[in-house]
Amino acid sequence: MNQKLLEAKNIYKSFGKIQALNNVDFYLYKGKIHGLLGENGAGKSSLMNILSGIYQPEKGSIIYKGEKQKKLNPDSAGKLGIGMVHQEFRLIENFSIKDNLTLSKANIYVNDFEEAFKKYSEIFSLAANHDTLISELSVGEKQKIEIMKLIFNNNKIMLLDEPTAVLTPHETNQLKISLDTLSKEDEKTIVFITHKLKEIKEFTETIFVMKNGEMVAKDLETKSVKDNDLVTLMMGEITKSVVKKDNKKGEIKLTVENISLKSQDDGFNNLDDINLNIKAGEILGIAGVSGNGQVELANIISGIHSNFEGKVTIKGQDVSEKGVKARKKLNLSYIPENRLGVGLAPGVSILDNSVVKEYFSASYGPHLSTNKMVNYLNLLIKEFSIKTDEPKAEISTLSGGNMQKLLMGRELISNPEVIIAAQPTRGLDVSAVEALHELIINQRNNGSAIMLISEDLDELFKLSDRLLVLYEGKIIKEFNINEANTNNVGLAMAGVIE
Amino acid sequence: MNNYILSKKTVVNDLATFYSFLIGLIIAICIGSVILLIQDQNPISVFSLMLKLSVGSINSLSSSLNKAIPLILAGLGISIMNSVKLWNIGAEGQIFLGAIAVNLIYINIEIYNSSLLILILLISGFVGGSICILLPAITKVVFGVNEIITTLLTNYIIIGLTIYLVNGPWKDPKSLNFPAATYVGEEVYLPTIFGRLSSGFLICILFTIGAYYLKEKSVFGYEMRIAGGSAMTAIYAGINARQKAFFAMLIGGGFAGLAGAIELLSQTHRVSIGISQGFGYTAIIVAAITGMRPIGIFLVGCLFGALTIGGAVIQTIGVSSYIAEIIQATTLIGALVSQFFFTYQIKEVKDG
Repeated sequence: MNQKLLEAKNIYKSFGKIQALNNVDFYLYKGKIHGLLGENGAGKSSLMNILSGIYQPEKGSIIYKGEKQKKLNPDSAGKLGIGMVHQEFRLIENFSIKDNLTLSKANIYVNDFEEAFKKYSEIFSLAANHDTLISELSVGEKQKIEIMKLIFNNNKIMLLDEPTAVLTPHETNQLKISLDTLSKEDEKTIVFITHKLKEIKEFTETIFVMKNGEMVAKDLETKSVKDNDLVTLMMGEITKSVVKKDNKKGEIKLTVENISLKSQDDGFNNLDDINLNIKAGEILGIAGVSGNGQVELANIISGIHSNFEGKVTIKGQDVSEKGVKARKKLNLSYIPENRLGVGLAPGVSILDNSVVKEYFSASYGPHLSTNKMVNYLNLLIKEFSIKTDEPKAEISTLSGGNMQKLLMGRELISNPEVIIAAQPTRGLDVSAVEALHELIINQRNNGSAIMLISEDLDELFKLSDRLLVLYEGKIIKEFNINEANTNNVGLAMAGVIE
Repeated sequence: MNNYILSKKTVVNDLATFYSFLIGLIIAICIGSVILLIQDQNPISVFSLMLKLSVGSINSLSSSLNKAIPLILAGLGISIMNSVKLWNIGAEGQIFLGAIAVNLIYINIEIYNSSLLILILLISGFVGGSICILLPAITKVVFGVNEIITTLLTNYIIIGLTIYLVNGPWKDPKSLNFPAATYVGEEVYLPTIFGRLSSGFLICILFTIGAYYLKEKSVFGYEMRIAGGSAMTAIYAGINARQKAFFAMLIGGGFAGLAGAIELLSQTHRVSIGISQGFGYTAIIVAAITGMRPIGIFLVGCLFGALTIGGAVIQTIGVSSYIAEIIQATTLIGALVSQFFFTYQIKEVKDG
């Protein structure tokens, strides 16, 4: 039992300047369910892509049953029985279930398909007929097909990249039962990737933890490991705030009461009874792993999402029924999480993008003054030190940092009273992050009420006055910044309340 | 290990579209020459004859410009729709319905002031074009049906309608079985400016300026650009992206409809299947070559008008008129390929 089936040793991989994997060791035992825990960007998916032969490591070796493997590609990995379910499904939408399952030449159930399909449909509690087209299935069902595809292709090692991210709680329970059966009866070796503590404890037998491209803990027995230890391993130690938070708070600028939102999928709550308020001069941090309702909350407050229950009040005015423009008139600014695509329009010039918030101020009736637009852009370039040499060039020619400076500058230059900033520094280098933090602090000192949505605890601890943790659409915990630490916030983000 | 990737240039030369057009034209002339050589024709003498007979005299120049009018107007309509990243393949049908609308109003209205009547007929043409694209516009905005398919299919319906009208209810008894409607009266002929040049050309200049203003200098144009760039950004900015798409389509259809009206009032003087000789399709080439720029559409439209006339006249020396169409089409291909090299560069990326 303690024979290692597959082993990855001293793996290095980088993408451009970013070291995605730094001397990583990882190994699997036959028939066990292994958990791989880590924050977004910790390197979990990169490691899995290397094991399944999609990426080539720069250094390091992969050993299967004690034998060192030469270069692994998807084909040779498949021959070793290694298969992966990606976060984005790789099914052919307008093919039937059967066609998708039997597509690969590695398929082992050529003659006894019906029988095998029946057996695994029971294990996965799949109700659909095998003639059904993939496009007619729900997300949960598609995932079942993805996992079944691995079985049909005789993959004994199954790498599942965040399989629960798209599932409802009920489907998650079902998946747990199916995976248990597969590991016990079929002796499948499974890797289960997640950043949710609760799930890793329920699903797995042994846990590996990654942080910043390194494997920080190996082969911890799930039964005996403590939640607190896992959180500390996953998040690391965080240096506490250096920003002074003794500025004067004013009156309440933004109130959100009883906001609920039901998404289309199975009545699964995206947001559930959210209540919060923010005062002038205050930064309210919203912590949480992305996908727990942050985007929806921000969209509801800014007026993009109109189909919700509850009440949004800006500066004492009920705006629940009002649109985007009316809320902007009350001096609300929204810096969306999706920089290029929502905040900025791809394929459109820098100049056009710079006035998205205030293009009406450059207009006389139906006429739009190019001069005024250019002046406005030049002001942004000067105030926020944006580097660009050609305002007519497409927005995507700017670097990520400059794009975000343009977006934030555009939203902040009018000195807004309420600001919603979602993941404002994600993916940016240190100097850009510093500059953007300074902008947020300045804005706070000017008396703005700021909602800061972030996954980055460093950033939240540094900037916020108070902290709410959003988990599966609910505020599951509120912290005063003095009582917040990596441990208790991290646990709440993972869905654990003490 | 070094990799090479294609990346968009930070600074794209403003004249890049013009240069790529020139390169495309040169490629097209070379290919055209080869084809002429295969046919034992001297390319230089054929091309110089084409040039002489298309722009060499007042009469030929004005004929060329007359041919340019529908190309320019329909091309402008296509470029307006393209601001919201929509393609209008239905300009041909819109031209026909524009002409049909003119005739319909002409038959049913009694106004004795001919200037007023002409104005009303021109407006009818515009509205006819808009009506032609109404169904594609509604299905696009409400159900998201691909407008390329719907505008293209509308052409067949409208051309079928034209054939029905000129063979049935509108058939001119004096036309000796030739399928055409009765001529409109001389009081609604558009006056000529010089030579044979129709005053429709002035309308064309006016609408070119109008389209340029609408696309580049107006709030509506700005909102179209943002909505075309990203529907999500439009929603985020409080811009009604569907409404912009809807009106862009109606205006685009209207431009082509106006082309049909001018064609009827200045050239054919009656509804027949000859109202458009593929103008609506050639206009797509004109608009695409210029990167959807109104001023460019105007200039290239004039050139293509001359090519069409040149192509027609060289038939007299036994050269197929298709040489003109070959040049038009290969110019587009050449221009699009060279545009690619003007907007992209090959970059070296260091791995690791």
